[in-house]
Amino acid sequence: MRIKGIAWEIKASIKNWYRNKGSVFWTFAFPVLLILLFGEIFSGGNDGYTIYIQDMDDSFASQAFIDAMENISAVKVKIIGKDANVQEYAKEHAVLRIPEGFYNAIVSRQQCNFTLYIDPSQHQTNSVIISFISSIVDKMNLEMNNASVIVGYKIEEVVAKGFEYIDFFVPGIIGMTVMTSAIYGSIEVYVKYRKRGLLKKLLTTSFKRGEWIFAKMVYQLLINFFSAIVILAVGIAVFHLKASFNFTSVLIIIAASFAFTGIGMIIARFVNEEETADSAASAITFPMMFLAGTFFPLEIMPSFLQTIAKILPLYYVNEGLRNAMIYHDANAAMLNAVVIATFAIIVFGIGAVLTNWKEE
Amino acid sequence: MKAIEVKNLTKVYGNIIAVDNVTFFVEEGEIFSLLGPNGAGKTTTVEIIEGIRNADKGEVKIFGKNLNDEIKEKMGILPQEFQSMERLNVKETLEYFASFYRKSIDIDELIEMVGLKEKEKELYKNLSGGQKRLLGVAMALVNDPSLIFLDEPTTGLDPKARRNIWNVIMEMKEKGKTIFLTTHYMEEAEYLADKVAIMHRGKIVAMDEPYRLIEKYGSGARIIVETVDGKKEFKARDEKEVVRIIGELQEKYEKIEIKRANLEDVFLKLTGEGLG
Repeated sequence: MRIKGIAWEIKASIKNWYRNKGSVFWTFAFPVLLILLFGEIFSGGNDGYTIYIQDMDDSFASQAFIDAMENISAVKVKIIGKDANVQEYAKEHAVLRIPEGFYNAIVSRQQCNFTLYIDPSQHQTNSVIISFISSIVDKMNLEMNNASVIVGYKIEEVVAKGFEYIDFFVPGIIGMTVMTSAIYGSIEVYVKYRKRGLLKKLLTTSFKRGEWIFAKMVYQLLINFFSAIVILAVGIAVFHLKASFNFTSVLIIIAASFAFTGIGMIIARFVNEEETADSAASAITFPMMFLAGTFFPLEIMPSFLQTIAKILPLYYVNEGLRNAMIYHDANAAMLNAVVIATFAIIVFGIGAVLTNWKEE
Repeated sequence: MKAIEVKNLTKVYGNIIAVDNVTFFVEEGEIFSLLGPNGAGKTTTVEIIEGIRNADKGEVKIFGKNLNDEIKEKMGILPQEFQSMERLNVKETLEYFASFYRKSIDIDELIEMVGLKEKEKELYKNLSGGQKRLLGVAMALVNDPSLIFLDEPTTGLDPKARRNIWNVIMEMKEKGKTIFLTTHYMEEAEYLADKVAIMHRGKIVAMDEPYRLIEKYGSGARIIVETVDGKKEFKARDEKEVVRIIGELQEKYEKIEIKRANLEDVFLKLTGEGLG
């Protein structure tokens, strides 16, 4: 073992990396930006759904309805004046008008209709609001008819309570960053080193190919863990993420680093030009990024795409990191880790064998 | 002992014989130049000797032995068109390459010797073409090698940068090192080399000391005389004949130009083609 050579190879790679603004951006700034951006966009759900209520009745009964609405934690009720322009408010959020005579209608047991003003383009929000309103209206109707509930239901959340989109998103971003930095990193190294004659030069020394690959792997792992820690830290600091690294997640990051470096080495073996290598890397990383459930859950995709996702290594990395870091499902996480590690051994093995310093 | 012995070396790519049954040797302490146009098979030959490529046939001995780790420690190499890591500075680059050898010379002295002291902290990517090549040559010297391979070390450089590299090479020779120089510049081979092997289409067509090659294959000198009647050209086999011809002209000329034969002429004579 040439310790001095290995140490210098790692040192040189790190220096070469941090002096390149582009690579620092893609490994740190880019994933952090993604988290801030997506975290902000999707954390809109935190504020819940806002509804304006215009109470024309101003009675005990209308107040009871408003209280019931306010009791729904996901709903934010804002009261608007009787002479407010409903059309204007409806552009912002749905407006519910409780008509004058609501109380009297109840007492005299006559039908009385609320009016809901909505922006039809907000169909998702609308359907949620409507379901909230109808649940209260149904309950009122039942009570007034002295009827009792026969069919009911109970909701049990599978994910431990309090998890949000950002908790789902951050492990995906870690998986994505490990993938891109390993694939692009290894292509950069193997194609550029060959093109620039560095591999030739190394071949004429007594430094061994295995020692060199080892050094490059140590470097890749350092970069990947460093960026994973930064991503996690930003998630915790900005979005109060409830996730942490444990043994299995560390194992998954190591296995993923080897697997994606292996893929990069294989690409680099067959592609000689840097530009072509970059395109080949993009052709692999981009579809994988979107299909493997990095940004959104697999369940929202058509079933054939879900099937495709399950043959992608990144899917197991993402799932594994989520199981390990968020759901704390140790068994599922370990299973993902085993899948990715097996894949890594095969791909990295092929990559290492194919990485030939010698020229034809 | 011979520094390099090459016997019946052959390398074939498909239908092309890149190196065709080449045999030569390099004495210890000499500057040996493999001269030929691009595509003659020079780099393939030198890379087989360095262990970068495998030969199809033939034998290479370095200091009497097959290439092994111990021999590699005695060799310093600048590959053709070599580019180092973009974002390492001069000193770091040399320290980086030194780390791959057991033995290393003083890096500061080396930087001083190749004249890059002022650029010591400059990143590789910011160096000029000539400085990059000087650093490349320095890189081939980090392990204090006895045998140095320089593949086209001055290609594309301006005359001053070329001269800087030549000075370093001459200094190495004075220190008793053996230098294997690949070039397609005949003046480089003529100026530096103790022995020149001319390579053409995978074969070595002639090999000797440069002046002997010129003597043997060059057609002496050409004397171009401009008189009031126009241009006239004379051929002289040697210096005596040059003096005789000029004497016979009795100063009845306006301009006189004497072109000595050089390796270019030798190459032309041997192959019927220019060096390009």
